[in-house]
Amino acid sequence: MTTQLPPGISLEKVDDRIMTLNVGPQHPGSGHMRLIIKVDGDYIVSCDPDPGYVHRGEEKMAEYRNYIQNIPHLERPVIHDSSNILYPYCLAVEDLLGIEVPERAKYVRVIAAELNRCIYILYWLAIYGIFLGHSTMFMWPAGDRELFIDLLEAMSGARVTHAYLVPGGVRNDLPANFEERCLRQVNYFEKRLKEYEAIFYQNPILKARTQDTGILSKTDAIRLGTTGSVLRASGVDYDVRKKEPYDVYENLDFQTVVMKEGDSYARSYVPYLEMFESCRIIKDALRKMPKSGSVRTKLKPNPKGGNDEVYRRVESGRGALGYYIVSNNRPEPYRVKISVGSFRNLICMPYLLKGEKLGNMPAVYWSLNYWPVEADR
Amino acid sequence: MSTAGGIIRALNSGVKHLAVKRFTLRYPEQKLKFVGDGFRFNPETGVGIAGLRGRHILFHEHCTGCQLCSVACEGIAEAIGMVKVNETWKHNKKAIMPQIDYGKCVFCGLCVDACPFYALYMTNDYELSSFTKSALIYTPAQLAVKPKMAQDVDIKIDDRGATHG
Repeated sequence: MTTQLPPGISLEKVDDRIMTLNVGPQHPGSGHMRLIIKVDGDYIVSCDPDPGYVHRGEEKMAEYRNYIQNIPHLERPVIHDSSNILYPYCLAVEDLLGIEVPERAKYVRVIAAELNRCIYILYWLAIYGIFLGHSTMFMWPAGDRELFIDLLEAMSGARVTHAYLVPGGVRNDLPANFEERCLRQVNYFEKRLKEYEAIFYQNPILKARTQDTGILSKTDAIRLGTTGSVLRASGVDYDVRKKEPYDVYENLDFQTVVMKEGDSYARSYVPYLEMFESCRIIKDALRKMPKSGSVRTKLKPNPKGGNDEVYRRVESGRGALGYYIVSNNRPEPYRVKISVGSFRNLICMPYLLKGEKLGNMPAVYWSLNYWPVEADR
Repeated sequence: MSTAGGIIRALNSGVKHLAVKRFTLRYPEQKLKFVGDGFRFNPETGVGIAGLRGRHILFHEHCTGCQLCSVACEGIAEAIGMVKVNETWKHNKKAIMPQIDYGKCVFCGLCVDACPFYALYMTNDYELSSFTKSALIYTPAQLAVKPKMAQDVDIKIDDRGATHG
């Protein structure tokens, strides 16, 4: 008996060499997205990433709320990196409204952003560990993340969705004894971070899984427009914090981490080394920060942006994150476009997975530092 | 480095942790200590004071029923509604005060920023679970109660690692 199939759909026969697999849309790691993978035996012939399952319409929502009310919902795409996703928004709105930020607030924002970057990378690393079957690497970063969550909770009052950065500075000043507490916990964390090296990064089993898988060459990385740790792992020295310093990053002492290999191992090693740099930035910022002073420039109750457009970007945990805001003399923005690193790194997935073994798919997929919720916005 | 050597080194770095204290918060018995009494504003300077953004506290003697907290919440969570209260204050002619639905509240604290009379602050109370949705709606009378919290555990760091103790 032959059944009539709808147009555009064909059945695969048993003796076909190529089989189609749908990986997802339920969590391959975190967040919903689908990879349509065609395999020939154990080898991937083609991969078609299919994002969009967690689209929330953040950009459209932003057109109906004023500049302050936009803050809590714009951090929802990446709640683990909520300071960094709000950072370019605040910079852009400050440009639109012509607000000067107090010097102390700039340092506090940098500290909040770097603490949040560590929280994001640790969460990402925990999932990378469990992807590769290394359950200790799930427990350790998830536990050490608590040190930074504790610090940001003391600063902002919330554990995950901080809503701490606002146009004009930060919501509140640092609590008493924060510098001392922050230094103690960051110093301890740096000591802990060195232990990750022996158990995870120098582990021969991890190296066998990740080295020489999903190699992205330097020219391909530039041609495909990747960003963040994926770009730096392929040997391109590009960091928005160095190239277009915002706030006080030009005064702070840190280096860009670059590796030449461009494989999954390098892509997972670069964020780890960046955590050391983040700790350096935090300690340097605590030293150079003005000890007192205002942290917030008061805005008018319902500020209106002029007839203007502005684009600002920062380096987030997943790469360059930019906001393009158009205003038309109203309290609400006319258009908000968020350019996120996750979406730009997704494009190299078909190139990296072609010819790989299916078992290497998680190692390559999660090394791209991809966050589905952020990519869909 | 040989493969066997690498595996032994990895195992060794895990074994060392048998002697290290556990970094686990035993939650209902232990509760983390927070800075201050919750997110609030200094009325003299108008600057925010760091603290946990938990349940709100409403000072009836300061609230004028201006609805600014409700307006601020409109585009965010729509958790705040204004309700009539059986109280007579000469600064609150309409006798309306905010009522907060914690089933909707996202604890962003922008209502506290919006209040020009410093009548709405936030407290360290974060244990708000209930069996019914309607019990999550806090009336102005419930919001006026100061919570009793026993939070005393801090992160301690010594030579044997970090602990909650």
